[in-house]
Amino acid sequence: MLKVDIKELSITGKRALLSGINFEMKQNRIHTVLGLNGSGKTTLIKSLTGLLNAHFYSVTGSVFFEGRDILSLDINEMYPLRRDKIKYVFQDAVNSFNQLKTFEYYFNSLAKDKEEINSLLSYFILPQYSELSRLYPYEVSGGMAQRISLVLALAAHPEIIILDEPTSGIDSAISNLFLLKLKEFVSQGKNSVLLVTHDINFAEKISDEIAFLSDGRLSKFYSKKELFAYPDVPLSEGNNDKQDGPEGSDSLRKLIHSYKQISL
Amino acid sequence: MNELLIAENISYIAANQGLFSRNEPDKEILNNISFQLEKGRILGIAGESGSGKTTLAKILAGIIPYSSGKLTFNWPPEWQKSKISPVQILFQNNGEILNPFRVIDEIIEEAIYIKTGEKKNIREEKEKIFDSVNFPEHLWNRKGFELSGGEQQRAALARIIAVKPELLILDEPFSAQDADSQLNLLNLFKEINSVYGITLICISHNVNILKKLCDEIIIIYKGEIVEKGTAEKIFSQPEHPYTKFLMKAESYELSYKDLKAEFENL
Repeated sequence: MLKVDIKELSITGKRALLSGINFEMKQNRIHTVLGLNGSGKTTLIKSLTGLLNAHFYSVTGSVFFEGRDILSLDINEMYPLRRDKIKYVFQDAVNSFNQLKTFEYYFNSLAKDKEEINSLLSYFILPQYSELSRLYPYEVSGGMAQRISLVLALAAHPEIIILDEPTSGIDSAISNLFLLKLKEFVSQGKNSVLLVTHDINFAEKISDEIAFLSDGRLSKFYSKKELFAYPDVPLSEGNNDKQDGPEGSDSLRKLIHSYKQISL
Repeated sequence: MNELLIAENISYIAANQGLFSRNEPDKEILNNISFQLEKGRILGIAGESGSGKTTLAKILAGIIPYSSGKLTFNWPPEWQKSKISPVQILFQNNGEILNPFRVIDEIIEEAIYIKTGEKKNIREEKEKIFDSVNFPEHLWNRKGFELSGGEQQRAALARIIAVKPELLILDEPFSAQDADSQLNLLNLFKEINSVYGITLICISHNVNILKKLCDEIIIIYKGEIVEKGTAEKIFSQPEHPYTKFLMKAESYELSYKDLKAEFENL
């Protein structure tokens, strides 16, 4: 699967945004990176397939997928990978489409099986192919664009789906739909999912593995059980966290503590 | 009588008289909403997007008129000659309440002056208010646009407390906040309620948080109240299928069959 070792990611010539990002995705698992606003979650996932603008960002390190370091691929080798194997669903889904092309272009170029698309569309309570294919991206709501984006990702039969804040801007019933479909997706083949979010409730319900991003560093991935059974030790300087490894584990513990107080 | 607010059969119909919608029928947003709210209590209003929650909040705050029904407020007599409304709203987008180019310190001092009409104890009062919303001193002289979303929200709250309203309406205050800030806000609202005796109405789609905050909860579905009761009762024995659906959706316990049935119903 995806093996990530990003030594440093910085805005060229300026401060480092992320450093020492090390993890390996496991097949048939949903991985979640929890982090607060501005912690660098979106930058992290964009860096994995070289989506960051090379004029502004510099990345050192490697991302191995199927035995190749995909960060060193040229653009012609990268395109098929992004088209077929590693699919993204962005938070700002409306603007991830070309506004001058109808959805027909996307349906036709990314997946050709109309029946499969129709059944995915109806799963996500969306209008059928014939109706949607006439619409432009700016004609649908943000929540709809997000669902269409996931339909297109699924229809490409990728091995990895990467999602950015899937629950923002949609209500819990639709999030519930996402959860069910993504669980089904990772149960098949060698598939896996990576998602980044600040929604700890969703993270708890959907994830198999959870890591925490804070101050540009990523903790190790904990199993969900391990994390939510984390003892509620009051936070004080005396607690020695460093030996269980994760940077930012203090913040993580604090977050989970707050979450438990709100939701239990 | 201790009721601060009595709503009787409030309905709101959005008339489609716009330039582009002449042929569409009028749309009923709220239908026969009735409830009472005692002074000093915290009421939660829950429902999904599009259920009419925010419309109800705006009607209660007098921002939009209702189409039919009766709304009675029992304000204490000192409000009669006041220039300030006894109802204040904390909106979802706080950036829009605060003038982004004004210094927070001045905004709060002005609000205190408008409320009390005197300049004597402003500094003392200001410190107390900033303190109660956890707004640290190094931020006092910042302007609105120099603050983060969470800081703006607390500044907006300080501005509201400065005029000591009788009723404070919170519109989705928890959305877009992480768990830490949610917990801080939750405690903050409870404190505002107990320290200043301000009656609160909190609107949210997050029923879990409402359970922690509110004395009573109203569930709204398609513009109608489908269930109301104490927070405890609604959570231990929900009666209406929609209440059950909402609670299950929040804990992600819905099967595809449940979801499909609900969507077809909409």
